[in-house]
Amino acid sequence: MSSEDSNPAATPTPGVDTQGDGRWMSLHNHFVSNSKDKEPDVLFVGDSLVQLLYQFEVWRDLFSPLHALNFGVGGDATQHVLWRLSNGELGHISPKVVVLWVGTNNHGHTAEQICGGIMAIVQLIKDKLPKAYTLVLGVLPRGKMPNSLRERNAQVNKLVQEAVSSLPHASLLNVDPGFVHSDGSISHQDLYDYLHLTPQGYQAVCQPLHAHLKGLLEKQAEN
Amino acid sequence: MSGDEINPAAVAQAVEDVQGDDRWMSQHTRFVQECKDAEPEVLFIGDSMVQLMQQYEIWRELFSPLHALNFGIGGDTTCNVLWRLQNGELDNIRPMVTVVWVGTNNHEHSAEQVAGGILAIAQLLTSRLPKTKVVVLGLLARGDGPNPLREKNAAVNGFLRSWLPRLGQAQFLDVGAGFVHSDGTISTRDMFDFLHLTAAGYRAIAKPLSDLLLQILDETPEEKRASLV
Repeated sequence: MSSEDSNPAATPTPGVDTQGDGRWMSLHNHFVSNSKDKEPDVLFVGDSLVQLLYQFEVWRDLFSPLHALNFGVGGDATQHVLWRLSNGELGHISPKVVVLWVGTNNHGHTAEQICGGIMAIVQLIKDKLPKAYTLVLGVLPRGKMPNSLRERNAQVNKLVQEAVSSLPHASLLNVDPGFVHSDGSISHQDLYDYLHLTPQGYQAVCQPLHAHLKGLLEKQAEN
Repeated sequence: MSGDEINPAAVAQAVEDVQGDDRWMSQHTRFVQECKDAEPEVLFIGDSMVQLMQQYEIWRELFSPLHALNFGIGGDTTCNVLWRLQNGELDNIRPMVTVVWVGTNNHEHSAEQVAGGILAIAQLLTSRLPKTKVVVLGLLARGDGPNPLREKNAAVNGFLRSWLPRLGQAQFLDVGAGFVHSDGTISTRDMFDFLHLTAAGYRAIAKPLSDLLLQILDETPEEKRASLV
Protein backbone atom coordinates (compact mmCIF):
# COMPACT_ATOMS: atom_id res chain seq x y z
CA MET A 1 0.00 0.00 0.00
CA SER A 2 1.59 3.30 -1.06
CA SER A 3 2.00 6.02 1.57
CA GLU A 4 -0.32 9.02 1.73
CA ASP A 5 2.50 11.21 0.47
CA SER A 6 2.26 9.70 -2.97
CA ASN A 7 -1.49 10.31 -3.17
CA PRO A 8 -2.07 13.99 -3.92
CA ALA A 9 -5.76 13.56 -3.01
CA ALA A 10 -4.71 12.50 0.50
CA THR A 11 -2.00 15.12 1.05
CA PRO A 12 -3.30 18.12 3.02
CA THR A 13 -3.07 21.10 0.68
CA PRO A 14 -4.36 24.62 1.27
CA GLY A 15 -6.23 26.40 -1.51
CA VAL A 16 -4.10 28.70 -3.61
CA ASP A 17 -5.18 32.30 -4.19
CA THR A 18 -4.87 32.51 -7.96
CA GLN A 19 -7.40 35.28 -8.35
CA GLY A 20 -6.03 37.89 -5.98
CA ASP A 21 -8.56 38.33 -3.16
CA GLY A 22 -7.56 35.58 -0.75
CA ARG A 23 -11.08 34.24 -0.42
CA TRP A 24 -10.17 30.62 0.30
CA MET A 25 -8.11 31.51 3.34
CA SER A 26 -10.69 34.10 4.42
CA LEU A 27 -13.36 31.42 4.42
CA HIS A 28 -11.15 28.99 6.33
CA ASN A 29 -10.39 31.64 8.97
CA HIS A 30 -14.08 32.49 9.13
CA PHE A 31 -14.91 28.84 9.84
CA VAL A 32 -12.21 28.53 12.48
CA SER A 33 -13.43 31.57 14.39
CA ASN A 34 -17.05 30.54 13.80
CA SER A 35 -16.34 27.25 15.55
CA LYS A 36 -15.21 29.00 18.72
CA ASP A 37 -18.64 29.88 20.03
CA LYS A 38 -20.83 27.23 18.49
CA GLU A 39 -21.73 23.80 19.75
CA PRO A 40 -22.97 21.93 16.72
CA ASP A 41 -24.29 18.41 16.89
CA VAL A 42 -23.72 18.03 13.16
CA LEU A 43 -20.92 19.39 11.00
CA PHE A 44 -21.30 19.47 7.22
CA VAL A 45 -17.95 19.73 5.44
CA GLY A 46 -17.04 19.57 1.77
CA ASP A 47 -17.26 21.47 -1.49
CA SER A 48 -19.81 23.75 -3.19
CA LEU A 49 -22.57 21.17 -2.88
CA VAL A 50 -22.25 21.59 0.89
CA GLN A 51 -21.71 25.35 0.71
CA LEU A 52 -24.70 26.07 -1.51
CA LEU A 53 -26.98 23.94 0.67
CA TYR A 54 -26.66 26.58 3.37
CA GLN A 55 -28.08 29.26 1.07
CA PHE A 56 -31.45 27.65 0.52
CA GLU A 57 -34.56 27.25 2.68
CA VAL A 58 -33.94 23.51 3.00
CA TRP A 59 -31.06 24.21 5.40
CA ARG A 60 -33.25 26.23 7.74
CA ASP A 61 -36.06 23.67 7.50
CA LEU A 62 -34.12 20.45 7.96
CA PHE A 63 -30.64 21.05 9.33
CA SER A 64 -30.73 24.16 11.52
CA PRO A 65 -33.05 22.29 13.91
CA LEU A 66 -30.35 19.61 14.19
CA HIS A 67 -27.82 22.29 15.28
CA ALA A 68 -25.70 21.94 12.19
CA LEU A 69 -22.69 23.97 11.06
CA ASN A 70 -21.70 24.34 7.42
CA PHE A 71 -18.03 24.35 6.41
CA GLY A 72 -18.42 23.95 2.66
CA VAL A 73 -16.03 25.69 0.26
CA GLY A 74 -16.74 25.80 -3.46
CA GLY A 75 -14.08 24.17 -5.58
CA ASP A 76 -12.58 22.14 -2.75
CA ALA A 77 -11.15 18.72 -3.49
CA THR A 78 -10.33 16.10 -0.82
CA GLN A 79 -6.83 17.46 -0.15
CA HIS A 80 -8.26 20.92 0.61
CA VAL A 81 -10.83 19.60 3.07
CA LEU A 82 -8.07 17.53 4.66
CA TRP A 83 -5.98 20.66 5.15
CA ARG A 84 -8.86 22.69 6.60
CA LEU A 85 -9.79 20.02 9.12
CA SER A 86 -6.13 19.63 10.07
CA ASN A 87 -5.69 23.36 10.60
CA GLY A 88 -8.30 24.50 13.04
CA GLU A 89 -11.77 23.81 11.71
CA LEU A 90 -12.24 20.97 14.20
CA GLY A 91 -10.47 22.87 16.94
CA HIS A 92 -13.30 23.93 19.22
CA ILE A 93 -16.21 21.74 18.36
CA SER A 94 -17.31 18.19 19.05
CA PRO A 95 -20.15 17.33 16.72
CA LYS A 96 -21.77 13.94 17.09
CA VAL A 97 -21.95 13.47 13.33
CA VAL A 98 -19.77 14.81 10.53
CA VAL A 99 -21.37 14.80 7.09
CA LEU A 100 -18.63 14.67 4.47
CA TRP A 101 -19.41 15.47 0.84
CA VAL A 102 -16.38 15.92 -1.39
CA GLY A 103 -14.61 14.31 -4.34
CA THR A 104 -16.21 15.70 -7.49
CA ASN A 105 -13.56 18.43 -7.84
CA ASN A 106 -10.58 16.06 -7.69
CA HIS A 107 -9.68 16.61 -11.33
CA GLY A 108 -6.73 14.66 -12.55
CA HIS A 109 -7.00 12.10 -9.76
CA THR A 110 -8.04 8.49 -10.21
CA ALA A 111 -11.04 7.02 -8.43
CA GLU A 112 -8.61 5.10 -6.20
CA GLN A 113 -6.79 8.29 -5.26
CA ILE A 114 -10.04 10.12 -4.54
CA CYS A 115 -11.20 7.24 -2.34
CA GLY A 116 -7.85 7.44 -0.56
CA GLY A 117 -8.42 11.14 0.01
CA ILE A 118 -11.89 10.59 1.42
CA MET A 119 -10.65 7.80 3.70
CA ALA A 120 -7.81 10.05 4.91
CA ILE A 121 -10.44 12.59 5.97
CA VAL A 122 -12.46 9.85 7.70
CA GLN A 123 -9.34 8.81 9.60
CA LEU A 124 -8.48 12.39 10.53
CA ILE A 125 -11.97 12.95 11.92
CA LYS A 126 -11.67 9.78 13.98
CA ASP A 127 -8.31 10.95 15.34
CA LYS A 128 -9.58 14.40 16.29
CA LEU A 129 -13.13 13.48 17.30
CA PRO A 130 -13.01 9.91 18.62
CA LYS A 131 -16.73 9.86 19.48
CA ALA A 132 -18.00 11.30 16.19
CA TYR A 133 -19.67 9.33 13.42
CA THR A 134 -18.74 10.22 9.86
CA LEU A 135 -21.43 10.00 7.22
CA VAL A 136 -19.86 10.12 3.77
CA LEU A 137 -22.30 11.17 1.05
CA GLY A 138 -21.94 9.53 -2.34
CA VAL A 139 -20.58 11.76 -5.08
CA LEU A 140 -23.37 12.70 -7.49
CA PRO A 141 -23.40 12.10 -11.23
CA ARG A 142 -22.66 15.17 -13.34
CA GLY A 143 -22.81 16.42 -16.91
CA LYS A 144 -25.88 16.42 -19.13
CA MET A 145 -25.11 13.07 -20.78
CA PRO A 146 -22.96 10.05 -19.83
CA ASN A 147 -19.28 10.94 -19.51
CA SER A 148 -16.08 9.75 -17.87
CA LEU A 149 -16.61 11.87 -14.74
CA ARG A 150 -19.85 10.02 -14.01
CA GLU A 151 -17.96 6.74 -14.26
CA ARG A 152 -15.19 8.07 -12.04
CA ASN A 153 -17.65 9.31 -9.40
CA ALA A 154 -19.55 6.01 -9.41
CA GLN A 155 -16.28 4.15 -8.97
CA VAL A 156 -15.31 6.43 -6.07
CA ASN A 157 -18.58 5.60 -4.34
CA LYS A 158 -18.05 1.87 -4.87
CA LEU A 159 -14.52 2.00 -3.45
CA VAL A 160 -15.53 4.13 -0.45
CA GLN A 161 -18.45 1.82 0.29
CA GLU A 162 -16.03 -1.09 0.44
CA ALA A 163 -13.52 0.82 2.55
CA VAL A 164 -16.05 1.93 5.21
CA SER A 165 -17.90 -1.36 5.39
CA SER A 166 -15.59 -2.62 8.13
CA LEU A 167 -15.64 0.63 10.14
CA PRO A 168 -18.01 1.12 13.07
CA HIS A 169 -17.62 4.90 12.99
CA ALA A 170 -18.35 5.64 9.33
CA SER A 171 -20.65 4.75 6.47
CA LEU A 172 -21.50 5.83 2.94
CA LEU A 173 -24.96 7.13 2.10
CA ASN A 174 -26.04 7.24 -1.53
CA VAL A 175 -28.08 10.46 -1.83
CA ASP A 176 -28.71 10.27 -5.58
CA PRO A 177 -32.51 9.98 -5.83
CA GLY A 178 -32.24 8.98 -9.49
CA PHE A 179 -31.07 12.15 -11.21
CA VAL A 180 -30.04 10.24 -14.32
CA HIS A 181 -33.05 9.60 -16.55
CA SER A 182 -33.58 6.50 -18.68
CA ASP A 183 -32.02 8.24 -21.69
CA GLY A 184 -28.89 8.96 -19.67
CA SER A 185 -29.62 12.66 -19.32
CA ILE A 186 -29.62 14.83 -16.24
CA SER A 187 -32.15 17.64 -16.04
CA HIS A 188 -31.24 21.27 -15.36
CA GLN A 189 -34.30 21.32 -13.07
CA ASP A 190 -32.29 19.16 -10.67
CA LEU A 191 -28.72 20.26 -11.46
CA TYR A 192 -28.93 23.75 -12.95
CA ASP A 193 -25.52 23.53 -14.60
CA TYR A 194 -25.37 19.71 -14.59
CA LEU A 195 -23.22 19.83 -11.44
CA HIS A 196 -24.82 22.07 -8.81
CA LEU A 197 -28.19 21.34 -7.23
CA THR A 198 -31.29 23.49 -7.61
CA PRO A 199 -33.50 23.94 -4.53
CA GLN A 200 -35.66 21.16 -6.01
CA GLY A 201 -32.61 18.94 -6.37
CA TYR A 202 -31.62 19.64 -2.78
CA GLN A 203 -35.10 18.69 -1.56
CA ALA A 204 -34.78 15.30 -3.25
CA VAL A 205 -31.33 14.75 -1.74
CA CYS A 206 -32.00 16.14 1.71
CA GLN A 207 -35.23 14.43 2.73
CA PRO A 208 -33.62 10.97 2.99
CA LEU A 209 -30.39 12.52 4.31
CA HIS A 210 -32.30 14.27 7.08
CA ALA A 211 -34.13 11.09 8.05
CA HIS A 212 -30.86 9.16 8.12
CA LEU A 213 -29.16 11.87 10.19
CA LYS A 214 -31.94 11.90 12.76
CA GLY A 215 -31.56 8.15 13.13
CA LEU A 216 -27.80 8.50 13.59
CA LEU A 217 -28.17 11.24 16.18
CA GLU A 218 -30.65 9.16 18.14
CA LYS A 219 -28.24 6.23 18.10
CA GLN A 220 -25.36 8.48 19.19
CA ALA A 221 -27.47 9.74 22.07
CA GLU A 222 -27.95 6.17 23.28
CA ASN A 223 -24.17 5.57 23.44
CA MET B 1 1.61 48.08 -37.86
CA SER B 2 1.31 47.41 -34.09
CA GLY B 3 -0.77 44.33 -33.33
CA ASP B 4 -1.61 45.72 -29.91
CA GLU B 5 -4.93 47.27 -30.89
CA ILE B 6 -6.99 44.15 -30.30
CA ASN B 7 -8.51 43.93 -26.84
CA PRO B 8 -8.27 40.29 -25.71
CA ALA B 9 -11.31 40.81 -23.46
CA ALA B 10 -13.34 41.64 -26.57
CA VAL B 11 -12.39 38.50 -28.47
CA ALA B 12 -15.16 35.90 -28.58
CA GLN B 13 -14.05 32.60 -27.10
CA ALA B 14 -15.83 29.41 -26.15
CA VAL B 15 -14.93 27.60 -22.92
CA GLU B 16 -12.87 24.46 -23.41
CA ASP B 17 -14.06 21.29 -21.69
CA VAL B 18 -11.10 20.55 -19.45
CA GLN B 19 -13.02 18.71 -16.73
CA GLY B 20 -14.51 16.08 -19.02
CA ASP B 21 -18.31 16.47 -18.81
CA ASP B 22 -18.86 19.23 -21.37
CA ARG B 23 -21.15 21.22 -19.10
CA TRP B 24 -20.47 24.64 -20.63
CA MET B 25 -21.50 23.56 -24.09
CA SER B 26 -24.53 21.72 -22.69
CA GLN B 27 -25.70 24.92 -21.01
CA HIS B 28 -25.09 26.98 -24.15
CA THR B 29 -27.03 24.46 -26.25
CA ARG B 30 -29.92 24.60 -23.80
CA PHE B 31 -30.00 28.40 -24.00
CA VAL B 32 -30.05 28.32 -27.80
CA GLN B 33 -33.02 25.94 -27.59
CA GLU B 34 -34.75 28.23 -25.10
CA CYS B 35 -34.48 31.01 -27.68
CA LYS B 36 -36.65 28.93 -29.95
CA ASP B 37 -39.32 28.24 -27.35
CA ALA B 38 -39.51 31.48 -25.40
CA GLU B 39 -40.49 35.07 -26.06
CA PRO B 40 -38.69 36.94 -23.33
CA GLU B 41 -39.19 40.62 -22.63
CA VAL B 42 -36.01 40.67 -20.59
CA LEU B 43 -32.78 38.75 -21.17
CA PHE B 44 -30.17 38.37 -18.45
CA ILE B 45 -26.71 37.33 -19.63
CA GLY B 46 -23.44 36.94 -17.78
CA ASP B 47 -21.58 34.80 -15.27
CA SER B 48 -22.50 33.05 -12.01
CA MET B 49 -23.82 36.31 -10.53
CA VAL B 50 -26.59 36.04 -13.15
CA GLN B 51 -26.91 32.26 -13.05
CA LEU B 52 -27.25 31.89 -9.29
CA MET B 53 -29.97 34.55 -9.07
CA GLN B 54 -32.39 32.19 -10.78
CA GLN B 55 -32.02 29.66 -7.97
CA TYR B 56 -33.36 32.04 -5.36
CA GLU B 57 -36.99 32.98 -4.64
CA ILE B 58 -36.30 36.58 -5.68
CA TRP B 59 -36.15 35.50 -9.32
CA ARG B 60 -39.62 34.04 -9.25
CA GLU B 61 -40.92 37.08 -7.33
CA LEU B 62 -39.44 39.91 -9.36
CA PHE B 63 -38.12 38.70 -12.69
CA SER B 64 -40.26 35.76 -13.85
CA PRO B 65 -43.28 38.10 -14.01
CA LEU B 66 -41.28 40.25 -16.45
CA HIS B 67 -40.85 37.19 -18.71
CA ALA B 68 -37.15 37.09 -18.17
CA LEU B 69 -34.70 34.51 -19.51
CA ASN B 70 -31.51 33.73 -17.64
CA PHE B 71 -28.44 32.92 -19.71
CA GLY B 72 -25.85 33.08 -16.96
CA ILE B 73 -22.99 30.57 -16.84
CA GLY B 74 -20.65 30.34 -13.85
CA GLY B 75 -17.06 31.22 -14.59
CA ASP B 76 -17.79 33.10 -17.79
CA THR B 77 -15.64 36.03 -18.91
CA THR B 78 -16.59 38.76 -21.38
CA CYS B 79 -15.01 36.59 -24.12
CA ASN B 80 -17.29 33.66 -23.33
CA VAL B 81 -20.43 35.83 -23.25
CA LEU B 82 -19.46 37.37 -26.60
CA TRP B 83 -19.06 33.92 -28.12
CA ARG B 84 -22.44 32.75 -26.80
CA LEU B 85 -24.21 35.83 -28.12
CA GLN B 86 -22.60 35.37 -31.53
CA ASN B 87 -23.45 31.68 -31.66
CA GLY B 88 -27.17 31.43 -31.19
CA GLU B 89 -28.18 32.91 -27.87
CA LEU B 90 -29.77 35.92 -29.58
CA ASP B 91 -31.49 34.02 -32.33
CA ASN B 92 -35.28 34.21 -32.56
CA ILE B 93 -35.73 36.48 -29.55
CA ARG B 94 -36.44 40.18 -29.27
CA PRO B 95 -36.21 41.20 -25.63
CA MET B 96 -37.03 44.80 -24.76
CA VAL B 97 -34.22 44.91 -22.24
CA THR B 98 -30.97 42.99 -21.86
CA VAL B 99 -29.22 42.95 -18.51
CA VAL B 100 -25.48 42.32 -18.73
CA TRP B 101 -23.48 41.28 -15.67
CA VAL B 102 -20.00 39.96 -16.39
CA GLY B 103 -16.36 40.90 -15.91
CA THR B 104 -15.38 39.73 -12.43
CA ASN B 105 -13.87 36.52 -13.88
CA ASN B 106 -11.63 38.27 -16.43
CA HIS B 107 -8.48 37.55 -14.43
CA GLU B 108 -6.07 37.80 -17.37
CA HIS B 109 -7.20 41.27 -18.38
CA SER B 110 -6.69 44.81 -17.12
CA ALA B 111 -9.60 46.92 -15.88
CA GLU B 112 -9.60 48.89 -19.11
CA GLN B 113 -9.65 45.72 -21.19
CA VAL B 114 -12.50 44.27 -19.14
CA ALA B 115 -14.54 47.45 -19.57
CA GLY B 116 -13.77 47.28 -23.30
CA GLY B 117 -15.06 43.70 -23.37
CA ILE B 118 -18.29 44.70 -21.66
CA LEU B 119 -18.67 47.61 -24.07
CA ALA B 120 -18.20 45.21 -26.97
CA ILE B 121 -21.04 43.09 -25.57
CA ALA B 122 -23.29 46.16 -25.30
CA GLN B 123 -22.40 47.15 -28.87
CA LEU B 124 -23.15 43.65 -30.15
CA LEU B 125 -26.53 43.69 -28.41
CA THR B 126 -27.57 47.07 -29.78
CA SER B 127 -26.51 46.10 -33.30
CA ARG B 128 -28.31 42.71 -33.23
CA LEU B 129 -31.37 44.04 -31.38
CA PRO B 130 -31.73 47.68 -32.41
CA LYS B 131 -34.78 48.26 -30.22
CA THR B 132 -33.34 46.72 -27.06
CA LYS B 133 -32.20 48.75 -24.09
CA VAL B 134 -29.05 47.46 -22.46
CA VAL B 135 -28.54 47.66 -18.71
CA VAL B 136 -24.99 46.93 -17.59
CA LEU B 137 -24.63 46.11 -13.91
CA GLY B 138 -21.53 47.33 -12.14
CA LEU B 139 -19.08 44.75 -10.84
CA LEU B 140 -19.40 44.14 -7.13
CA ALA B 141 -16.63 44.37 -4.58
CA ARG B 142 -15.23 40.98 -3.57
CA GLY B 143 -12.99 39.43 -0.94
CA ASP B 144 -13.13 39.65 2.84
CA GLY B 145 -11.13 42.88 3.09
CA PRO B 146 -9.57 45.43 0.72
CA ASN B 147 -7.65 43.76 -2.11
CA PRO B 148 -6.49 44.45 -5.70
CA LEU B 149 -9.60 42.86 -7.25
CA ARG B 150 -11.84 45.39 -5.51
CA GLU B 151 -9.79 48.19 -6.97
CA LYS B 152 -9.86 46.56 -10.37
CA ASN B 153 -13.63 46.05 -10.35
CA ALA B 154 -14.14 49.66 -9.22
CA ALA B 155 -11.91 50.81 -12.08
CA VAL B 156 -13.96 48.77 -14.56
CA ASN B 157 -17.08 50.47 -13.25
CA GLY B 158 -15.40 53.86 -13.65
CA PHE B 159 -14.68 53.22 -17.32
CA LEU B 160 -18.21 51.94 -17.92
CA ARG B 161 -19.76 55.00 -16.31
CA SER B 162 -18.13 57.24 -18.86
CA TRP B 163 -18.23 54.98 -21.93
CA LEU B 164 -21.74 53.51 -21.82
CA PRO B 165 -23.77 56.72 -22.13
CA ARG B 166 -22.15 57.24 -25.56
CA LEU B 167 -24.01 54.14 -26.73
CA GLY B 168 -27.40 55.74 -26.36
CA GLN B 169 -29.31 52.50 -25.86
CA ALA B 170 -27.12 51.45 -22.96
CA GLN B 171 -26.92 52.50 -19.35
CA PHE B 172 -24.89 51.62 -16.29
CA LEU B 173 -26.47 50.59 -12.99
CA ASP B 174 -24.38 50.39 -9.84
CA VAL B 175 -25.92 47.89 -7.43
CA GLY B 176 -22.91 47.56 -5.17
CA ALA B 177 -23.71 50.18 -2.54
CA GLY B 178 -23.73 48.94 1.02
CA PHE B 179 -21.81 45.70 0.65
CA VAL B 180 -18.50 47.04 1.93
CA HIS B 181 -18.78 48.04 5.57
CA SER B 182 -17.00 50.99 7.15
CA ASP B 183 -14.20 48.70 8.33
CA GLY B 184 -13.62 47.53 4.78
CA THR B 185 -15.09 44.08 5.29
CA ILE B 186 -17.81 42.25 3.39
CA SER B 187 -20.16 40.05 5.38
CA THR B 188 -20.85 36.40 4.55
CA ARG B 189 -24.48 37.33 5.20
CA ASP B 190 -24.36 39.19 1.87
CA MET B 191 -21.73 37.16 -0.02
CA PHE B 192 -21.39 33.63 1.31
CA ASP B 193 -17.87 33.21 -0.06
CA PHE B 194 -17.01 36.90 -0.37
CA LEU B 195 -17.96 36.75 -4.06
CA HIS B 196 -21.34 35.08 -4.60
CA LEU B 197 -24.51 36.62 -3.20
CA THR B 198 -26.77 35.09 -0.59
CA ALA B 199 -30.56 35.41 -0.76
CA ALA B 200 -30.23 38.60 1.31
CA GLY B 201 -27.53 39.92 -1.00
CA TYR B 202 -29.68 39.33 -4.08
CA ARG B 203 -32.67 40.93 -2.41
CA ALA B 204 -30.62 44.10 -1.94
CA ILE B 205 -29.60 44.35 -5.60
CA ALA B 206 -32.83 43.08 -7.11
CA LYS B 207 -34.93 45.99 -5.90
CA PRO B 208 -33.12 48.82 -7.77
CA LEU B 209 -32.71 46.55 -10.78
CA SER B 210 -36.34 45.54 -10.96
CA ASP B 211 -37.40 49.17 -10.46
CA LEU B 212 -35.27 50.18 -13.45
CA LEU B 213 -36.56 47.32 -15.59
CA LEU B 214 -40.16 48.20 -14.82
CA GLN B 215 -39.43 51.80 -15.71
CA ILE B 216 -37.87 50.82 -19.03
CA LEU B 217 -40.60 48.33 -19.86
CA ASP B 218 -43.20 50.93 -19.00
CA GLU B 219 -41.66 53.39 -21.41
CA THR B 220 -41.82 50.93 -24.27
CA PRO B 221 -45.08 51.18 -26.25
CA GLU B 222 -45.31 47.46 -27.12
CA GLU B 223 -45.05 46.54 -23.46
CA LYS B 224 -48.02 48.69 -22.55
CA ARG B 225 -50.22 46.22 -24.42
CA ALA B 226 -49.01 43.27 -22.45
CA SER B 227 -48.58 45.07 -19.16
CA LEU B 228 -50.23 43.79 -16.02
CA VAL B 229 -53.33 45.84 -15.40
